[in-house]
Amino acid sequence: MDQLSTRLFKDLAFRIYLVITTMILLVPLGLILYYIVRNGIAVISWDFLTSLPKPPGTSGAGIANAIVGSGLLIGTAALLSIPFGITLGLFLTEFSNSRLASVVRICVEILQGIPSIVIGIMAYLWIVVPMGGFSALSGGIALALMMLPMIIRSTEETLKLIPHSLKEASLGLGVPYYRTMIKIIVPAGFNGILTGILLGVARVAGETAPLLFTAFGNPFMTLNVTQPINSLPLIIYNFATSPYADWQQIAWGASLILILFVLGLSLLTRTLIKR
Amino acid sequence: MNKQILEIDHLTVTIGDDKIIKDISMSFYRKKVTAIMGPSGCGKTTLVRCINRMHELIPNTVVSGSISLYKKNIYEMNPIMVRREIGMVFQRPNPFPTMSIYDNVIAGYILNGIKLKRTEKDQIVESSLHKAGLWNEVKDALHRRGAFLSGGQQQRLCIARALAMKPRVLLLDEPTSALDPKSTAHIEDLISELKETVTIIMVTHNIGQASRVSDFTAFLYLGELIEYGTTEKLFTVPDDKRTEEYLSRKFG
Repeated sequence: MDQLSTRLFKDLAFRIYLVITTMILLVPLGLILYYIVRNGIAVISWDFLTSLPKPPGTSGAGIANAIVGSGLLIGTAALLSIPFGITLGLFLTEFSNSRLASVVRICVEILQGIPSIVIGIMAYLWIVVPMGGFSALSGGIALALMMLPMIIRSTEETLKLIPHSLKEASLGLGVPYYRTMIKIIVPAGFNGILTGILLGVARVAGETAPLLFTAFGNPFMTLNVTQPINSLPLIIYNFATSPYADWQQIAWGASLILILFVLGLSLLTRTLIKR
Repeated sequence: MNKQILEIDHLTVTIGDDKIIKDISMSFYRKKVTAIMGPSGCGKTTLVRCINRMHELIPNTVVSGSISLYKKNIYEMNPIMVRREIGMVFQRPNPFPTMSIYDNVIAGYILNGIKLKRTEKDQIVESSLHKAGLWNEVKDALHRRGAFLSGGQQQRLCIARALAMKPRVLLLDEPTSALDPKSTAHIEDLISELKETVTIIMVTHNIGQASRVSDFTAFLYLGELIEYGTTEKLFTVPDDKRTEEYLSRKFG
């Protein structure tokens, strides 16, 4: 009898331990969000979103160029990584057992593990140096390299689950192999592939390191991909490390915008997964 | 006399090290239903898959001998053309999940990039669904996705999809094995109606089904064609002892 009550006590203690530990771990997350919202909310206004950064001490500064820049960088990255990512994912599904596929899988794993700063250096050597200057294009390529593994993997994982019978149905109608892939197999996995793309975007949206020596930053608005360009992570990095209080304030505001964007993407991804 | 549409000549199929089909020769008759029956693993599915070259999807498959459609060897034709002439319906219903019922029926045209006028499309969809006995059940939901259909309805949708390509031969690979008895009866009735327009070759492991719907029956055992003849003869006075034993359910 005694032994039983000790066991019950231990069970209860363990459950309490689980709950308390979880709560403790939620504290830093809550604090991060709290600080960013508290410090950032004050500067956020329509003007903040639509004006350009100004010298310290002047009012009415904004981050419009960083928002546009981030959009342009992510857009370039998506444009480059999505077609290649889906193609490679399709290859891995279709030639699942080939030797080349296992080599590709290892490469993808390695690419995923490469620190983002190293990817930035590679983009600097391959694109910035030959082009003779920093550019949005080189930043976009660095980000594309970071998105690629996520898109390849989610495509492969999704397409693997598509029943073989669908492929047979299409081929059985006399549809050529390439059309079967493009019109049946890839659309059937659309949700899963889109999820991978959104996760990839969420990941690179906050990347700073690969942009330091590729996109570089730019205090002005530009839409030219061959020019240096600003982005949310870059403006946060540059302004937060500056000695001016009003610039630091802008960095908080930019952090809040960035976090809202990434949170929004995660929520969107969740609803897509549920469907 | 019955006209021959399809001839199999000394067909042997090996997959890896296994001989699945052993030197089979037989002819199929136009606008008749031919049932291919036999115990599991006798090669009946492989045999029909060879007829529209779907076996080419399976790696390490080696085929010798020939199959000819109206005297033309299908192994010398483009597989894509073969599959348009010889349609196929599979064991499990496999409508395209991302397409509406309407688009599923004309999927063969859409996916092959064949342009049709609106009126032609409507006409093909309606007549194919009529032939598959599905029109009355889905005519008000043509532009909805087919996911809400029952298994039997989905299978009839797949039959409509195959018929829409106006094939000369329709292969049915155990079309009712995943269906309930009521849907099975519905599809069996349908098969009897369809032979007015198309030659049907049907694989079945159900002896009763073969006797109910087919004009000719072939009995396969361990990759060999044991006996082939009119269903009436094969079921009443089989020549081979093994056929008799299979029919009296001594094995299989």
